[in-house]
Amino acid sequence: QFLLADRFHLKSTAAEPWPENATLYQPLMDDQILLSDHASSLSVQAYLRMCGLPIQVVCRYNAEYMSPSGKIPFIHVGNQVVSELGPVVQFTKAKGHSLSDSLDDVQRAEMKAYMELVYNMLLTSELFVQWCDDATAGEISRPRYSSPYSWPLGNILAYQKQWEVRRKMNAIGWGGKTLEQVQVYEDVNQCCQALSQRLGTQPYFFNKQATELDALVFGHLFTILTTRLTSTELAERVKSYSNLLSFCRRIEQTYFEDKKLMKD
Amino acid sequence: MGTVHARSLDPLPMQGPELGVQADDVEALEIEQEPKQEVLENKNVVVQQVTIDGLGRTKDDFLSYEIAEVFRAKNLIDVMRRSHEARQKLLRLGIFRKVEVIIDTSRGEDALPNGLDVTFEVTELRRLTGSYNTMVGNNEGSMVLGVKLPNMLGRAEKLTFQFSYGTKETSYGVSFFKPQPGQFERNISVNAYKVTGQFPWSSLRETDRGISTELSFPLWKTSQTLKWEAVWRELGSLGQTASFAIREESGHSLKSSLSHAMVIDTRNSSILPRKGGLLKIHQELAGYTGGDARFLKEDFEVQLNRTLILDSVISASLWGGLLLPIGDKSTCIADRFYLGGPTSIRGFSMYSMGPQSDGDFLGGEAYWAGGLHLYTPLPFRPGRGGFGDLFRTHFFLNAGNLCNLNYGEGPQAHLKKLAECIRWSYGLGIVLRLGNIARVELNYCIPMGVQSGDRICDGFQFGAGIRFL
Repeated sequence: QFLLADRFHLKSTAAEPWPENATLYQPLMDDQILLSDHASSLSVQAYLRMCGLPIQVVCRYNAEYMSPSGKIPFIHVGNQVVSELGPVVQFTKAKGHSLSDSLDDVQRAEMKAYMELVYNMLLTSELFVQWCDDATAGEISRPRYSSPYSWPLGNILAYQKQWEVRRKMNAIGWGGKTLEQVQVYEDVNQCCQALSQRLGTQPYFFNKQATELDALVFGHLFTILTTRLTSTELAERVKSYSNLLSFCRRIEQTYFEDKKLMKD
Repeated sequence: MGTVHARSLDPLPMQGPELGVQADDVEALEIEQEPKQEVLENKNVVVQQVTIDGLGRTKDDFLSYEIAEVFRAKNLIDVMRRSHEARQKLLRLGIFRKVEVIIDTSRGEDALPNGLDVTFEVTELRRLTGSYNTMVGNNEGSMVLGVKLPNMLGRAEKLTFQFSYGTKETSYGVSFFKPQPGQFERNISVNAYKVTGQFPWSSLRETDRGISTELSFPLWKTSQTLKWEAVWRELGSLGQTASFAIREESGHSLKSSLSHAMVIDTRNSSILPRKGGLLKIHQELAGYTGGDARFLKEDFEVQLNRTLILDSVISASLWGGLLLPIGDKSTCIADRFYLGGPTSIRGFSMYSMGPQSDGDFLGGEAYWAGGLHLYTPLPFRPGRGGFGDLFRTHFFLNAGNLCNLNYGEGPQAHLKKLAECIRWSYGLGIVLRLGNIARVELNYCIPMGVQSGDRICDGFQFGAGIRFL
């Protein structure tokens, strides 16, 4: 996944310790950020807190365009700018912080598989509900996305984003379909079922220690549970698994006790 | 009876640089005289008829204003002078390729003994013209492909499509121009454009999509322009090594602004003038007609020229500008001023002066720059009277400053800040004039007063452009 040049680059940053002023950038909390972006941002925040690395969260209306990959969130550490959870995990590993060192190869492969599951099912469903469902897109996503800009720029950017997401959905075969047709909620249900089974009665997914999978699952499930959409179906699917609910509550209490996480 | 035949001059060039010795004074009209003409000279005459031959799509009523003055002529010399002026007026409309004037004695039944008929024989421009130019901007070159529909509806309206591909910029646009019948200097134009630019000195990419309408009119000796413009600006970093300050400027913004410009130009030429002065004042107010950007921007340009002994010219110029943000938002990098380079403060790299972060120049909210030049003919005057006249040697002294202002402090503090850390440079070089539009310079510069962070170009520096300090 990484080019050789990136590896050398990361090696050279290993020597510098984690600075106090490391910052994470995301869109504006109250009026702008959407469910999928908030979930990704919360995942990275949870991961860094689990590693014990201090991070400040700064909201910028142009965070998406500031990001080197165009995706939220990104962190600014010293001179480096790294975006998305995968690269952030690699980046912290190069600095000597890792949550998955104690896993053996089989477990690590399993962890990667479950993370892929979350990306393919949960994140894709979130994006579909946000942008391809006309009701949600018109009442929530487009108004929020365009809120920092004046007319008509906000509308132009919101429609551009909508077309971009719909093109991606076309590529995976979900294009042009309604919520019922693509069985989005079924997919979410299946994903939660798989996660719930893996978690069982354990406190975390692997051993007694949090890993990046815990951070990712927490980020998405917590956001789904606490974000108001046009319908509560998405949240209902998650709520039906009680061990996932208590998992979210536990992570919130353990790692986010100093911070008010609920938005809206 | 004999005829007086006014020989026509070459048509005025429309646009684009052209090489050649430029005559600054208008050539005098040559008149072929036959011996019988002596009878008519200085005798009172009456212009009975003025005709324009060769009109196709041009509307008659539109042209009547341009030729009206010819009827007022009282004697022959007057007729010729007014005919010549009318010919210039017809040419400046930009709708004729050629205009010839024929003055003849009146014929026909109601012909008076001292009556004259004046005929303008015109050749209209084609309906659709294409053009290919290479353009020289400020230290960049570009290819420009254009399609023009001159005189589209018969009253000198012009529709232009243009595509330009350059070293730093790619752009395309469409423009519609309409003059007021009878007063060509009063005109309105509507433009739509998309411009993409790359600015390596700031590690910045900018794409502007905009529409604007512009109204120009003369007022006493000045030329005034009122403009409304709406631009969707998209900024991004250029390359992975852009500083974080530039990264923070990435994103989209909408600027909707009203601007006013006033120009008084008494120079005999815009490139290497020998006498006269220029005063240009421009202000722009953004935010009150919509959009995200809110600011008030002022800038001015003054230039004075005077010929001294031995064909040398001394020229002094002063530029300045101020950007005042309105409200809480700070200014956007796309609105700020930049300074430095072969077309402003020579001896410094292009726009590489003033506030910067990690080697990326951020521009400033206030600046001033001044230049003092002495232009002389080339030593030993090679090629005098021909090609050599296009070259001039010049000795120059440039100075200026660019900074951000903290608007909490008063104007005293601002003036003090602009007066500290002045950058300046001096040197000499050779200037080549390209037609009436552009000039090319090769200078040897010695920059002084360099502040930390500025990038200099001491020694030889090459510059090409339209607007020089």
